[in-house]
Amino acid sequence: MSLLQSVQQEVIERLGNLSITARQAVESVLAGQHRSVRRGLSVEFAGHREYQPGDDLRRLDWLVWARSDRYDIRQYEEETKLRAAIVLDTSGSMGYASGAQSKLEYARSLAAALGFLMIRQSDAVGLVTCDTAIREFLPPGSTMAHFLNVLAALEKVRPGGETSLSPVIDEIAERLTRRGLVILISDAFDDPEAFLKSIQHLRHRKQEVRLFQILDSQEQSFPFRGMIEFVGLEHEPPLKLDGDRIRAHYQGVFEQHQGRLRSGCHAAGVQLETCLTNEELFTVLIRALGLR
Amino acid sequence: MIDFLNPILFGGLFAISAPIIIHLLHRRKVKRVDWGAMRFLLEMLAKRRRRLFLDELLLLLIRALVIAFIAFAMLRPALHRRNGGGNGTAISRQGRTAAVLLVDDSVSSMAGRAQPAFDAMKKLGVAYLESLAPGDEVSLLLMSQLGAPPSDPVFDIEGLKSYLLALKPSYVATDIPALVDPGLDQLKRHINPGAELVLVTDGRKDGWHEEDKVRWDGLRERLRGPKSAAVGTRQRPQVIALSPASVGFEENLAITAVGMDRTLVSAGRPGGIRVTVSNFGIQDGHEVTVQMTVNGEAAGSNKPIVVPAGGQQEAVFTYTFPEPGSYAVEALLLNHQDLLPADDRRAVSIQVESSLPVLLVDDVASPGLENKLGFLQDALNPETDHPGPFRVTRISLAQLTASILQDYRVVVLGDARVLEPSMVDALERFVVGGGGILVGLGPDTDRELVNRYWARNGEGFLPCPLAEAVTPAISPIPAAMNLGHPVFGGFGAKSDEAWKAAKVRSYFKLDTKKVKASDLDPLLTLDNGDLLVAERRRGLGLVTLIATSLNADWTDLPLQAAYVPLMRGIVGHLGSFIIPPRNLEPGGQIIYARVKDPVKGMRAEDPSGKPLKLSLAAWEGRDAIVSEPLMDPGVYVLHDPNQPKPIHYAVAVSAAESALAPISDREMSRNFEDGLSIFHSPEEAAASLYPDRRLSVELWKWFLLAALGLMFAEAWLTRRQTSLVFGRTVS
Repeated sequence: MSLLQSVQQEVIERLGNLSITARQAVESVLAGQHRSVRRGLSVEFAGHREYQPGDDLRRLDWLVWARSDRYDIRQYEEETKLRAAIVLDTSGSMGYASGAQSKLEYARSLAAALGFLMIRQSDAVGLVTCDTAIREFLPPGSTMAHFLNVLAALEKVRPGGETSLSPVIDEIAERLTRRGLVILISDAFDDPEAFLKSIQHLRHRKQEVRLFQILDSQEQSFPFRGMIEFVGLEHEPPLKLDGDRIRAHYQGVFEQHQGRLRSGCHAAGVQLETCLTNEELFTVLIRALGLR
Repeated sequence: MIDFLNPILFGGLFAISAPIIIHLLHRRKVKRVDWGAMRFLLEMLAKRRRRLFLDELLLLLIRALVIAFIAFAMLRPALHRRNGGGNGTAISRQGRTAAVLLVDDSVSSMAGRAQPAFDAMKKLGVAYLESLAPGDEVSLLLMSQLGAPPSDPVFDIEGLKSYLLALKPSYVATDIPALVDPGLDQLKRHINPGAELVLVTDGRKDGWHEEDKVRWDGLRERLRGPKSAAVGTRQRPQVIALSPASVGFEENLAITAVGMDRTLVSAGRPGGIRVTVSNFGIQDGHEVTVQMTVNGEAAGSNKPIVVPAGGQQEAVFTYTFPEPGSYAVEALLLNHQDLLPADDRRAVSIQVESSLPVLLVDDVASPGLENKLGFLQDALNPETDHPGPFRVTRISLAQLTASILQDYRVVVLGDARVLEPSMVDALERFVVGGGGILVGLGPDTDRELVNRYWARNGEGFLPCPLAEAVTPAISPIPAAMNLGHPVFGGFGAKSDEAWKAAKVRSYFKLDTKKVKASDLDPLLTLDNGDLLVAERRRGLGLVTLIATSLNADWTDLPLQAAYVPLMRGIVGHLGSFIIPPRNLEPGGQIIYARVKDPVKGMRAEDPSGKPLKLSLAAWEGRDAIVSEPLMDPGVYVLHDPNQPKPIHYAVAVSAAESALAPISDREMSRNFEDGLSIFHSPEEAAASLYPDRRLSVELWKWFLLAALGLMFAEAWLTRRQTSLVFGRTVS
């Protein structure tokens, strides 16, 4: 089954006509869902204001002048399209799988589902795949043909390389000139300080950011017993450790990382959604879209 | 210093290695996992690598220590400190005392003028018991009760004192090493750390059996314990001897033996009853009168006797037993008082036979002097029409069956060519059950077969295997005989003369290497040093082997006058044993094996006429009536309703008990490698025993507490390291 088919099955059949929402108005307009702060050329009248030198004379309301001899400019509220960039982390750690699917496979499905939902409501969706650098960059587009390109790019991704999202996010922030939504899909196994700093960078660039953190349940519970040789997926040196003995210590470090991530996201106004690979995708979508 | 009271459990310390082995095995089983979240492991290790390593070591150490402490607790370590009090002879008591009192209540402890030595021994024993403190435990072992099931130590010292004071001496013989050995075993039943082995003895030298070096060496080895063990611990007990001053030994006459002058006693024929009186004193004895009774009635006139110091004299009473049966013969000294009255009378049971049934197994059953056993038959029973003391039956080898043996007391094999294996087996059973076998050899003897089946490397019924048959150029003659042996009772003073013409032309050399020298009794030796007649006890019976022929084939012996008394002596001796024995030592039991059915009305009486308790038991695979132990010397009578006359049993004290010469302190101490504290008076003992200055503590409870504490620490550490939070989600 191709990614498109699986996404259609997952999203269309189970989510129906749900749509994605953004908290802030963005430039793009789509059927009143995303309200633009830019007033100007649009279809819906918003009100008048007094003419000021430099205003476009084409927006002067001649009917008001005729009735009241005042020079008022017509103002319109524009309905904009959402411009979303899905940033998919393809580092080696995303390749971990304790169950049927790896974190990357889960993240890929999530990216496709989100993209599909946005395309369905005429939003523009782009895709960035990265590990230590940007591997693929598809600028946002709202056509189905574009989405198929996005899916094709998603089909191609393979885990590899180390996790180093900060410089990549910084680069993306530079590339995205217009306001929009950045959807980060990653395990966020990066230095949290640098990672949060890059997210702040995005926020300064007027981007709304949503972080989907993909985790495997074993990464939380650390259920290993006895002597285990841990072989890193990002070329770290192997470690021989007693699972029983280090569990508590590992969980402590892990919790600390999660805590820093949570508080950093909260401070930056970034919505953090932690997803486990053994969770149903649609439940994650419902939770993420604020429908329950 | 620290001593371990259960050193046998030292091996348990090896269990310490268990956690280490488990740890190493655990480390060897490594599972490989491809892991994404390595950064957390690395971050954790960066912070805690050292801590984790130390925790692991600490946990391993705690687990090993838990096991070690439990093992140490089971070893029962005790911390001792010397009490530091007293003079050089003071007994250093270490903690609570475990004392085993070994009381030599043998017959010699009755010796004494004003009061028996046993009274003084009891006072010494009580003085020792008074030196003990509450919590000390004591066992009491009596010489008269050796062999009885062991009993547990007691803490009731007052009760034990009363019991000790009420004790009376017994009639058993002294055997100090035999008393010390179970005393050491008894110590193992005690739990207190300080161990004392207290020998309460009359100090009679003979009772120490110093000549028995094997037993003493073994005892010394046991007493020595490990080198590291302190004196006064259960590994190396303190040995104390409580021995009153000697009662003297200047005068003691004793009847040391009563017996017939021949091996086989026949009814209606006069025989000599020999009473041996010994003087164990240092003064020549005055004249004493020896009285002899048979079945309680005076037999013959009393005989006066004077025995010099250190010597012995025999009084011989001629007596004719009127008819076959069991007789009790008792001799006693009249008008005499000495240190030990208990040995002034002695009883013996004598079985008078009408005739001894003897089976001669010849190659061909023919009368007269022919064949292998003709001479022997004539020697035993010269007048075939008038049977003498031997009732001889002569059969051929072919007629010999296993069932026929039960009717005879002695079987003679004369140069038998071959025996069926089943017959060899039957003969072995016959002799083990109390029968006697005389084996003569000769030209028909097949040495290989005899060695393979009859001797079986010294395990068969033959006294020893045969070496080669020899025919020396100069025929040897018998030269040395064991004159003290009952077999030679019929030989006079000029016995050497009897053998001068008894040339032995051919004979088998005897291979005695495979038999213990003490097992083989050489009766007659040739002048070239080779054995001619040897005897060996097999089970309850006897076997005598003559290395040459019983007829004139290989020797002129049958043609000599000595042949008749020799053969009658041998055969009579072989058949003279009454099985089960009727002459017993104190502590022996009446065993009456001629029981076909449990007999109603069977009863027994002790010397005072009191009934004895009888019970049915097994003896040598047969039903038998067995009495309670017979402790007093004298004549005991068993009445079997199926027998016309009563059966007599005699209990006599050991003749060795009459030698009252004391052992010196030096000799006594030497037997215990100078590790012996000797006290001769209660005051001396009391002055040297310090009941109130014991400084010792057992450490096992502290080790257990430490182990318990470590277990809690282990649980806490494990819990800390192994937080079981499976499935916990990070919110």
